[in-house]
Amino acid sequence: MVLICLGLEGTAHSFGAGIVTDDGKVLSNEWDMLKPAQGGIHPREASRHHSDLGPSIIKNTLEKAGINYNDINLIAFSRGPGLGPCLRATATMARTLSLKLDVPLVDVNHCVAHIEIGCLESRFKDPVTVYVSGGNSQVIAYAGGRFRTFGETLDIAIGNMLDVLGRELGMGFPAGPIVEKLAKQGTNYHSLPYSVKGMDLSYSGMLTAAKKLFSEGISIPDICFSVQETAFGMLAEIAERALAHTKKQELLLTGGVARNNRLTEMLEGVSKRHDVKFHRVTPSLAGDQGAMIAWNGILQFKAGRTIEINDSQVLPKWRTDEQDILWRT
Amino acid sequence: MEELIAQGAESVILKIERWNQYFVLKWRQSKPYLFKDIDSHLRKTRTSRECKMLSVARSLGVRTPAVYAVNLSDYTILMDYIEGTQFKQIADTLTENQLKEFCREFGHSIALLHKGDVVHGDPTTSNLIVDSKSHLWLVDFGLSEMNATVEMKGVDLHLIQRALETTHWELQECMLEATIKGYSDSLGKEAKDTLSRMKEIRERGRYH
Repeated sequence: MVLICLGLEGTAHSFGAGIVTDDGKVLSNEWDMLKPAQGGIHPREASRHHSDLGPSIIKNTLEKAGINYNDINLIAFSRGPGLGPCLRATATMARTLSLKLDVPLVDVNHCVAHIEIGCLESRFKDPVTVYVSGGNSQVIAYAGGRFRTFGETLDIAIGNMLDVLGRELGMGFPAGPIVEKLAKQGTNYHSLPYSVKGMDLSYSGMLTAAKKLFSEGISIPDICFSVQETAFGMLAEIAERALAHTKKQELLLTGGVARNNRLTEMLEGVSKRHDVKFHRVTPSLAGDQGAMIAWNGILQFKAGRTIEINDSQVLPKWRTDEQDILWRT
Repeated sequence: MEELIAQGAESVILKIERWNQYFVLKWRQSKPYLFKDIDSHLRKTRTSRECKMLSVARSLGVRTPAVYAVNLSDYTILMDYIEGTQFKQIADTLTENQLKEFCREFGHSIALLHKGDVVHGDPTTSNLIVDSKSHLWLVDFGLSEMNATVEMKGVDLHLIQRALETTHWELQECMLEATIKGYSDSLGKEAKDTLSRMKEIRERGRYH
């Protein structure tokens, strides 16, 4: 019999529900992203968005998959890391469904789920993963029973940096795709702080300098071009450092910012230099969505890990390396 | 003779023989995927910085290879060849006491740099070499900086913790404790600020 898992994702501004089977088929994957009219994401507004839209998104995803509530064998939810109110809204829905349908509940780490769905799609066994989104910029790899963060941002995430810059330059949210488009028209490179520390990086200095370029009257396409070349260059360098350090043979790019073609091109360059395989996760599986939570839920369930409702409090600061990866050992 | 010792992320390390002696030739290669201005800027600044900081570090009492020549047109540095093994490779072969002793020595070396307001920038166990007399040498100063602030020193310590947890996960607690002991013993009161900054930095870059 096939095992069917419903996965609920709600760590930040997106709520998603996906249905995945244990033979690795994604039957449906529905989500909605909160787009603030102005400014950044307010955790409370985002959690309200999740509780308001969650039930209908879950219903839609069941319809798309062509199944009923009673066909679900397993509920998985994003337990962390993320914004507390958003995580709690999502966990409440997961717990309710688990009780109501009398099926096991599985707690999933959001970052680990991104990697595993990428591995499912690419058939990679043991990659170095570059995970880039609004809230995360990490280089992660499996070592000694856990996924370990080899490098990450010391201040703000790449997606957040692009959004803040975009706001300054008068762009809508999310700004990443607009920055990418305008960067193609840029012709002059303006030097910006390039800050790599070990396998970590920092974007705040570069962001301040980019805003200064704007106040000095440098054209927006030139700023976008310079920012992309600098910011992605730094990411490519820490990815390369992680590859050289771990000697792994696969490089995986995932997260919302994986959509960016220039970043992809640079990481392809890195993989060529080290003669390793490269894969960019498809946008529908790279962003925050429920299918990745469902797939990871299946892996975890099969390795024998479920969670009791009493123990299922959310973990807003759940580090990637705090979870034993039972299904890989 | 020329022997490839390591192909790193940003350079090739060759062991060469000249004047009847062994040397290391470190060559920073071009990265075609980077925008050309950034690529040449990084190669140039890191080569000249490494050359300078190896000497600065030695003047602060840290064992580093001596530099004989630097060429900024092909981005190479000719320096001492240190006969020995990367600490990373021997850490799990040592007794607990030996391991702690090396880690304290590592912490002591970092403290000497920090006392002189210098940060290493990439303080991993791959950049530590243990020679035949069990002396610890610090190498790879391409990301090193002078006039370091508390923040920069805190990052340096954070990078040590990160390197230990990703590479020596089974020994990380013992190694971190001994490294910090060596660091604090050498730096005295000053260590307090940088150590608390290290903890603070670890919490950043994540959701709050």
